[in-house]
Amino acid sequence: MVYFALLLLFIVSYSFYYFGKNRALKIKFTGDQKLASLPDYYGYFLVLVVFLPSLIIWFILLLYKSNFQELYVMSPTLFPDIAQWSDAKFGLIMNKISNLALIVNIPEADLLKGQTSLLNMSSESELIAAKNLASFDSIYGWSIVIVFILLPVILGLSISRLINQKLNVQPIVEKIIINIIRFSSIVAILVTFGIFFSLIFEAIKFFQYVNFADFFFNTAWNPNRAWVISSGETVDPEILKDAFGWVPLLTGTLLVGSVAMFVAIPLGLASAIYLAEYASSKVRDIAKPIIEILAGIPTVVYGFFAALTLAPILKNFGDSIGIDISAESALAAGLAMGVMIIPFVSSLSDDVIRSVPNSLRDGSYALGATKSETIKKVVLPAALPGIMGSFLLAVSRAIGETMIVVMAASLRANLTFNPLEPATTITTQIVTALIGDVEFENPKTLVAFALGLSLFVMTLILNIIAITIVRKYREKYE
Amino acid sequence: MSNIKKRLKAERRFKFYGQLGVFLSLLFVTLLMLKIFTTGSGAFFRTTIEADVFFDPKFMQVDKNSSDKEISRSSFEALADSVVNNNFKDLNEGQFIKVREMFTRRFDYQLRDYFLDNKDDYKKTVKLKITASSDLDQIVKGNYPRNVPEEQRKINDYQLSILDELNKQERIGSTFNFWFFTNGDSRDPETAGIWGAIMGSFYALMVCLAFAFPIGLFASVYLEEYTKPGKITDLIEVNINNLAAVPSIVFGLLGLGMLIGVFNMPFQVPLVGGLTLGFMTLPTIIIACRSSLRAVPPSIRHGALALGATKTQTTFHHVVPLALPGTLTGTIIGMAQALGETAPLLMVGMVAFVMEIPGGPLDPATGLPSQIYLWSESAERGFIEKTSAGIMLLLLFLILMNLTAVLIRRKVEVKW
Amino acid sequence: MVDNNNFALKTNNVYVHYGNKMAINNVALDFPKNEVTSLIGPSGCGKSTFLRCLNRMNDVIDSCKVEGSFIMNNTIDIYRDDLPIENLREKIGMVFQKPNPFPKSIYENVAYGPKIHGVTSSQSELDDLVKESLHRAGLYDEVKDRLTDVATGLSGGQQQRLCIARAISIKPEIILMDEPCSALDPIATAKIEDLINELKENYTIIIVTHSMSQASRVSTKTAFFHLGNLIEEGDTSKIFTKPDKEQTNDYITGRFG
Repeated sequence: MVYFALLLLFIVSYSFYYFGKNRALKIKFTGDQKLASLPDYYGYFLVLVVFLPSLIIWFILLLYKSNFQELYVMSPTLFPDIAQWSDAKFGLIMNKISNLALIVNIPEADLLKGQTSLLNMSSESELIAAKNLASFDSIYGWSIVIVFILLPVILGLSISRLINQKLNVQPIVEKIIINIIRFSSIVAILVTFGIFFSLIFEAIKFFQYVNFADFFFNTAWNPNRAWVISSGETVDPEILKDAFGWVPLLTGTLLVGSVAMFVAIPLGLASAIYLAEYASSKVRDIAKPIIEILAGIPTVVYGFFAALTLAPILKNFGDSIGIDISAESALAAGLAMGVMIIPFVSSLSDDVIRSVPNSLRDGSYALGATKSETIKKVVLPAALPGIMGSFLLAVSRAIGETMIVVMAASLRANLTFNPLEPATTITTQIVTALIGDVEFENPKTLVAFALGLSLFVMTLILNIIAITIVRKYREKYE
Repeated sequence: MSNIKKRLKAERRFKFYGQLGVFLSLLFVTLLMLKIFTTGSGAFFRTTIEADVFFDPKFMQVDKNSSDKEISRSSFEALADSVVNNNFKDLNEGQFIKVREMFTRRFDYQLRDYFLDNKDDYKKTVKLKITASSDLDQIVKGNYPRNVPEEQRKINDYQLSILDELNKQERIGSTFNFWFFTNGDSRDPETAGIWGAIMGSFYALMVCLAFAFPIGLFASVYLEEYTKPGKITDLIEVNINNLAAVPSIVFGLLGLGMLIGVFNMPFQVPLVGGLTLGFMTLPTIIIACRSSLRAVPPSIRHGALALGATKTQTTFHHVVPLALPGTLTGTIIGMAQALGETAPLLMVGMVAFVMEIPGGPLDPATGLPSQIYLWSESAERGFIEKTSAGIMLLLLFLILMNLTAVLIRRKVEVKW
Repeated sequence: MVDNNNFALKTNNVYVHYGNKMAINNVALDFPKNEVTSLIGPSGCGKSTFLRCLNRMNDVIDSCKVEGSFIMNNTIDIYRDDLPIENLREKIGMVFQKPNPFPKSIYENVAYGPKIHGVTSSQSELDDLVKESLHRAGLYDEVKDRLTDVATGLSGGQQQRLCIARAISIKPEIILMDEPCSALDPIATAKIEDLINELKENYTIIIVTHSMSQASRVSTKTAFFHLGNLIEEGDTSKIFTKPDKEQTNDYITGRFG
C-alpha cells in the first residue's frame, strides 16, 4: 500500500515535469520575446515543488504513525483520568486496545473462546477506543492518498499558473538544488554532532545518579544494584557507589586488545613485509585479497568461532597440561579479534612499506646489504611512522570491537591482567546494559551512554593521532 | 667468509618469517571457512520419521467437506497423538511422552497442512514423512554423541532403542529443509528459518541506501564542487575521516539515543535500524564519492563552463555521470559493510524473537547478523548448525555484493 | 699510458634484455685500474643499464636478463653463482643519480656499510672510519659538528658527497657513478668533480654522464653508447678531438642527442 502510494507520487511528479514543460512551450509570444529559461527548467521546477513537500509530510506520517494512533485513540473524552496514568499503565491499556481492535468488528459467531472473554472483560470506553483504532487505519490510508495525490496536484496546478514568459525559473531551480546538496553535507556533519550530543546528554543524566569519581576510579562493577531503582526516582548516590566502577572494564578491554595486538602485529607485519618486498606480483595478487577477506567477514562470525570452537579447544588444551583456562577467557576473544585485525595491520603497513622510495633500497643494496638487512635497517625505519599509525588504527578497532567480546568474553567484571581468566569489556557492558527494557531515566540504561562516551573519546584520540601520523608520513615521500 | 654465511642464513630466516605470516593468515581464512561449512551444511537437511497416518474422524473436528478456514482454525493435536499411538503399539504414559518427543512439536501443523491439500484422504491411511525433533535430528546426523552417560543426553536409552528399531525398518529419512529458507524464527530448531531475518535485513538495507546514497552523493558534490579549499573544508574532511573509524556500537548508541530517545521513533523496526546503518555507512560513501569526483579531470568542467553552462549544469550533466561508477562501487561496498554489522542492530532492538516475516520497514524484525547472534546464544544444540548455515548465507550475500562492486569497477572503469 | 694488463674490470659479449626488448647488444669494454672511465651517449642508449650490470643491480629487476662475461681483476667472474652478491657489492660500490641518503643521522649513513659487513671490531675504529670516509669525501669540515643530525637535512650537493662517503666507507675497489651531478647546481657539481679527481688515486671510477664537458674534465677514457651498441671507445682526448666514427662526431658536436 505504502509502496503503491510512493509509486503514485513518482508518477504524479513525473507527469508534472511534462505539464510544466508544455505549459512553458505553449506561451504565446509577441515580437522578439522568448522564454526566460529553457523549457525543461519549468518542468524541473514543478517536480521539485510537487515532490519535496509530499515526501517530507509522508515521512513524518510514516514515522509517527503510532503517535498519531495514540493521539486519536486515547482521548480524554473516553478516559477522563488519562492525565494521571503512568507510562506503564498507558502502555498496558494501549496494548489491550490494539488486541481488541483486531476482533472488535468480527461477528460474535466467528470468535474463539478466548476472544469472547476478552471482549466481555473490556469496559465500554475501551471498546469504543478499539473501534476507533480499527477505523484509524482507513483514515490513515486516506491521509496518505491525500498527501500523495491531492496535495501534489493542488500544489502543482496552482504554481503552474505562475508560469509566464517573464518568470525565470532557472536560478530558482538551481538555488533549490544547491540548497538540497548543502543540506546533505550539513547532515553528514550533524551525524558527528548527533553522536557527540546524544552521548553527552545521556551521560550527564547518568552522572546525576552516579558520582563522577565513583565511575572513573572505582574498581567494583555491579550494575544489577541499579535494577531495584524504578524510573524517575531520586536515588541516594551511596547505593550506587560500588555499582558502576569503570576500571575493571577498562583493564578488560585493554587485556583483550593486547592479546589481539599480540596476534595481529607480528602476523600482519610479517605478511606485509613478505608481500611488499619478497612476493612476486602473482603471489601478491592472490594472497593480498584473500587476507583482506578476513577484514570483510562479519564480526559475529568471529564471535561464533571464538565462543564455540576456540574457547573449548583452549580449555581442553589447558586441562591437558594442567592449567585452568576459563571458558570465557580473554584469550579466546583476543585471539579471534587478533585474526580479524591482521588485514588492518597488513594492508596499511603494506601501503606504507611500498611507498618507501626505491632509491633507498638501491642505496643499501649497492653497499652490499642483503635484502633482510635492507628491510630491517633502511626500509622499516623509514616506514616506521606509517607503520605505527597502522598499529594505532588497529588498536582503536580492537577497543571498539563489540560482537566478538559479547559472544566470547565474560559478563562478569574481573580486575585482572591474566588472559586465561574471564574478563569483560566496555562494549560488552554497553550491550548488556541495553538488553531488556530500555529506560531512559534509569542509570542501568544510561550507563551505556557514559561507557559509549568513554569509548568514543578513546577511539577518537587514537584515530586523530594515527591519521595525523600517516598523513605526515605520506607528505614526506610524495 | 663465515660472516657472509651467517648473513645469508639470517636472510633466509627472515624470509621464512614473512612466508610464515602469510601462510598463517591464509590458514586462518581456510580454517574459519571449513569450520563454518562443515557445521553449517547439516542445516539444509532435516531428519524425518515415516509414519502411517490414519485421518481418524474420532480425533478430528473437521471432515473432507470443511472449508479451508475451518481446517486452519481446528486443532490436530489429538490426531497427532493418535498417530503416535497407532505406530508404536502398547505405549504406557511415560513411553508415549518419550516417543512423542521424538517428533517435532509442530507435528499437528504438518498434519493440518497435509490435510488442507489432500482432503480426500479423510478416513484413509497414508504414509507420511514426519519431521523429527531437533534432538533426534542431531543424534541421527552424528552431531551429538551417543556414548555419553544417559543423564547427560537429551535422548534417553529408550528413545535410542526406538530409533534403532526405526532405522532397521528404514523409516528414518532425510529431506531438504525448505523451512530453513521460508520460515521465520522459532523456539524449535527444526522449524526455525532465516527468511524473516533476510527480509529484516533487506528492509534495513533499503532504508540505509535510500538515506545514505543521496545524502552521501550530494554531500560529496557540495564538498568537491561548491566549496573552496579552506579551514572549514579541512575540518569537514578530518571530521569525515574520523567518523569512518568510530566503532559501530557508538553509531548504535546514536540510533538509540537520537532516533528512539529524542525523535521517539519505534523500537525493533528496520526503519530505525536502517537509518542507524545509514549513519554508519555515510562516511564510507562520502569518501568513495569524493575520490571518484576528484578523479574527473578539470578539463571536463572547464569544457562545459566554457560553453556557458552554469555550475549546476556542469556538475549534474557532466561531472556526476562520469563519477557514477565509482560512487556506485563505493556504495555497494558500504552496503556490504552495513549488512554484516550486528552491534547497531543490537542497540536499536533488532534482536528480539520474531516469528512473523516482516512485511515492511515498520514491522518488528531481526536482521541476518543479529539472527545469527540470537541463535548462537541459544542453548539448544540444534541451533549450532542453524547458526553456521545462517553465516553461510550471510557470507554468500557479502560475496555477491562485493563481486558486483568489482564487476562494475572493471566494466565501467574510465581511465583518464 | 695504460698498461694493458692492468685492468680492474673486463667485460665481453654483454647482452641485456628487458623482457623481449634488447637494451645492450654485444658490448665489450675494459676499465683500467685507478682511472676514470666515462660512459656517454644520448638518453636511453643503455649506458646506465650497462653500469648497473657491473655490480649486478639489475638483478633486482625481475624481467631483466644479463649475459656475457664480467671479469674482475683478471680472475673473478662477478656473475659466478657461488659468489655472494653482497660480497661483490662490497668490492664494487655505487653512487646514484639522485642523492639517496637513508633517513638516519649523518653518522649512521656512513657507518651503515661497515656495520653490515663487520669491517670494524670496535666503536672507536668505526668512529675513525666514519671520520676518514667523510674526510675523503670532502664533507667532514662541513658536518663535523652535527654528525647526529638527520642526513636528509643536508643540501643536495652535501647529500651526494655523503653518498660518496657512504660508498667509500667499505673500501671498494671500483666505484660506479650514475650521473652523480645531474640533480646538482654548478657549484656542487664542481666540488664533486674535484672529489672524483682525488678519488681516482685509490679507486677505479666508472661514471655515466650526460655532460660531455664533464666527461672531458674528469675522465681519461671515454666510451660512446648509442641504441644499446658501443660505438666507440678510447682515450678521452682522442674521442673528443678526432673520433673515428661519424656518429660519435655528430653526438660530440651536438648534431643529435
